[in-house]
Amino acid sequence: MSSLEIDAVRKVWPGARGLETTAIEDASLRVSSGEFVAILGPSGCGKSTLLELCAGLEPLSGGRILIDGEPVTGPNPKVVMVFQEHSLFPWLTVEDNVIFGLRMKGMGIDERWRRGREVLERVRLVKFAKHYPHQLSGGMRQRVAIARALVGQPEFILMDEPFAALDFQTRVLMQQFLLEIWSGFQSTILFVTHQIDEAVLLADRVVVMSAAPGRVLEDVKIDLPRPRSMTDPAFNDYRMRLTAHMEREVMRAAEFQ
Amino acid sequence: MNGVLKAAAAALVPWLVLVGLWEFGAATGSLATTLFPPPSSFVKFAIENDFRVGFGSEAMTVPAAIIASSFRVVAGLAIGFVAAVLTGILVSMSRWLSIALLPIVRGLAPIAPIAWIPIGIVIFGVGNPTAIFVVFTGVYFLLTLSTVAAVQSVDERLVKTARTYGASPRQVWTHVIFPAVLPQVFTMLRINFFAAWMAVLAAEMVGLKNGVGMIVILGREMFNPNLIMLGICIIGVTGYAVDALLLFIQRKILWWKTAE
Repeated sequence: MSSLEIDAVRKVWPGARGLETTAIEDASLRVSSGEFVAILGPSGCGKSTLLELCAGLEPLSGGRILIDGEPVTGPNPKVVMVFQEHSLFPWLTVEDNVIFGLRMKGMGIDERWRRGREVLERVRLVKFAKHYPHQLSGGMRQRVAIARALVGQPEFILMDEPFAALDFQTRVLMQQFLLEIWSGFQSTILFVTHQIDEAVLLADRVVVMSAAPGRVLEDVKIDLPRPRSMTDPAFNDYRMRLTAHMEREVMRAAEFQ
Repeated sequence: MNGVLKAAAAALVPWLVLVGLWEFGAATGSLATTLFPPPSSFVKFAIENDFRVGFGSEAMTVPAAIIASSFRVVAGLAIGFVAAVLTGILVSMSRWLSIALLPIVRGLAPIAPIAWIPIGIVIFGVGNPTAIFVVFTGVYFLLTLSTVAAVQSVDERLVKTARTYGASPRQVWTHVIFPAVLPQVFTMLRINFFAAWMAVLAAEMVGLKNGVGMIVILGREMFNPNLIMLGICIIGVTGYAVDALLLFIQRKILWWKTAE
């Protein structure tokens, strides 16, 4: 059983001439094994920062984050992160991008190659193993990024608006793809988005964050069977409820600026 | 391949027009052939002399001169590029090194490579090392600065991605920052190639007594406009060829920045 515990976390960015910005204030959240949790919030609410803190990429200003009971002090092999577009290494082929993490850990070349093939088969990209990222469409690139995340069989996958840069059609396909692939792996997913539909469509739980400084406002369990449909009346109830929250937060964020 | 041939043909047409006008001007007497002998004159001159220029110990063949000059500039660029990328990355890795070295590099970068010729001759004598040294100084300091700038502009998402995939700080440098900066620094190398090429020619003119730069000086000393014009044309064509080689390297080997 794996667990991720965010406990009263605070993050302050230092600014010029001692002007500090509080990105996150007293955020707490528990995620348990195998869950798909979406973090929803307006732009600039610190949700991406929260993911980077979980990934150990930035030091905390207060509180603590525990992964399987261990405090996070730096990048952790149990956790990987998927960013928006352009996080593939442009000088590496699809295959070499996918096995990058295995190579960093010093895994033998045969094992690396075998695992890479296996994952590429699952994301149906074997044909493109020798292609370079710039030869792929935006959706295919994100499939490679997801394959790269899955290949090391991490306990947690942190996704920072992975589909935000894609067009509507591709995004819908990628959401289906993610659910499909997730059902085959046991990873726990923390998924940041600013799109309400995406959050309700994908997640077991939707956590709403407030505008700057980011706080956890509400934690909504999405009690709908999968596959979900956006035209389902129950889906609409969740959408309305979350929209109300988001509207309030967007207005509040606008007042801050 | 068809595209390459087409591009080459397209680049050749304006030249053919220019040469045609040149020959026409010379034939009709509206152009001073004592100063601007046309290709039909200096190419004939070169063939008649069996592609040999100069006398005694200074004699050389035109192909040997081209090879000597190209080798100098390519060797100087290669050494300068490798050294600059290594220095730039080392300097970026350490705050202390950057505090200690960057002001010096910044002070040396604006010095024209030609100014280093006398020093090169004193240190290395008259020969290839001096020419290579002059090219090296022409690109090394500038490329070190552009490597430092390129390191600062590496996409942070790539670095973060590498770190979450378990790359150690050293692996981030070798596997992410190093390949990420190469195309940008190479672009700067190409931009600075012309200055380096001119420096080699100047070095050949003032001291080395061989190479394509020397052909022009021989022409001056012998009051032979054919030789001067031959030298100028060879300098142009050789420079063009080396630039084409650099462009090829950029497109085939270091393509990823331009491909985005």
